Amino acid sequence: MMIFQELGAGLLFLREVFRTILKNSVNRSALFQQIYLVTTQALVTTAFSGFFVGAIMSVQFNSQLKEFGALSVLGGLATSATIRELGPLLIAFMLSGKIGAYTSAELGTMRVTEQIDAIRCLGTDPIEYLVLPRFLAIIISSFILLFAGLLMSILGGVTLGQLVAGMSPQEYLNAIPHFVTASSVFIGLFKCFCFSFLLASICTFKGYYTKGGAKGVGRTVITTALSTMVGIVLVDWFTSYLSRAVGNLWSS
Amino acid sequence: MALQIKNLRKSFSGRKVLDGIDLSVSDGEIVFVLGRSGTGKSVLLKNIVGLLSPDSGEIWLDNEELSKLSEEKYFPIRKKCGMVFQHPALFDSLSVFENVAFGVRRHFPTISDEELKVAVSDSLALVNLDGIENKLPSEISYGMQKRVSLARTVAINPRYLLFDEPTTGLDPVTTNSINTLILNLSHRLETTSIVVSHDMHCALEIGDRIVILDQGKIVEEGKPQQIKNSKIPLVKEFLIS
Repeated sequence: MMIFQELGAGLLFLREVFRTILKNSVNRSALFQQIYLVTTQALVTTAFSGFFVGAIMSVQFNSQLKEFGALSVLGGLATSATIRELGPLLIAFMLSGKIGAYTSAELGTMRVTEQIDAIRCLGTDPIEYLVLPRFLAIIISSFILLFAGLLMSILGGVTLGQLVAGMSPQEYLNAIPHFVTASSVFIGLFKCFCFSFLLASICTFKGYYTKGGAKGVGRTVITTALSTMVGIVLVDWFTSYLSRAVGNLWSS
Repeated sequence: MALQIKNLRKSFSGRKVLDGIDLSVSDGEIVFVLGRSGTGKSVLLKNIVGLLSPDSGEIWLDNEELSKLSEEKYFPIRKKCGMVFQHPALFDSLSVFENVAFGVRRHFPTISDEELKVAVSDSLALVNLDGIENKLPSEISYGMQKRVSLARTVAINPRYLLFDEPTTGLDPVTTNSINTLILNLSHRLETTSIVVSHDMHCALEIGDRIVILDQGKIVEEGKPQQIKNSKIPLVKEFLIS
């Protein structure tokens, strides 16, 4: 029962967010400030993880492909898998751990210390002033981070491809266009959007409606982390299934 | 009457917090609302400024009924009805200047930078604070934060000032200075004030009228002298404490 109440409240919150987007123009300076904050906070960890995801993929695929004498496709296979699946998932988990927790704690603290009430009393809509820039920044930044993570994963793949398989960077990169098709890019971007939309919705909603003082803020951070992790995995399953179904329809 | 509340009721999860409140406040009056924790004092203030909506009842402010107003229509009400919160509720990332200027910018969008500077420094001077405009809230004491919060509210020139436990968590010296400020502001700015508090001594000293709430109802109401002579046990407890 509780879960349905929570879902209903979340949908009403989202309706309010969309209504605010349609009614008012977004405060650009606040939005850019948030994009900068989110991107810089997550960039190093994303780049670091991206590099090692590419490296791991290279090592794993290397041993499999060697058996079939198909090492030449290593770069394409590793990059395609990163774009379609691992990249968006990695960005989502990174953002969930860092930015999701940060945003929900920030909004939650503002709620329990009556800053949100004060904003209303001073004639400003807190959804427009606080929620909207954070909400949009998470979505926009996730694409920037996906791009950065992807570049680093290619670098990781190239490095390990050379070290483990003795493959030149040129050989590795040449295989990419054969595997990374428009549909893989679209699937990656679609997943990235779905994950970041989910994360932005959950962390702003949970933070905005925090109750119960410092303990409540702690509870909010934990429930935000749990809900986003579970939500991301469920959305990943759904989008993978959906993209497969769309792909089958397309080929038939 | 400047403010009139009729049969106001509010419940949370089936628990009655306000159970038929009737209260009238005249122009320029300082009314203290006292009661134990959890008796609905803050809820009463939040209903007046529209942060909460009543379950039933009416709130009349300057002959306008507020209880059914939408969030947008509350905008002008909040301009004339400033609220000082229990926490200083200052915005951590903004300087003292930006905090005080926040409401002024929203309520007076055509104000020039010069006028804004004057409005902010005048408001800070009213609460006896000078030269801290560039500091962040974390760089000043809790008592100063409370005064900045008060300055932020008076900067929008409200006709009504609602104080939610303005002296909670403060030392006796700062408590006295805040109480003096409430009195001075009410006289200098000619505002009508409602102060939610636990401090009976302060209420007797500066309040024009005192209202005692218990279990969501008004159990006693009168001028300080009448309250001193009250026979109600809860009021006597407050007087002894």
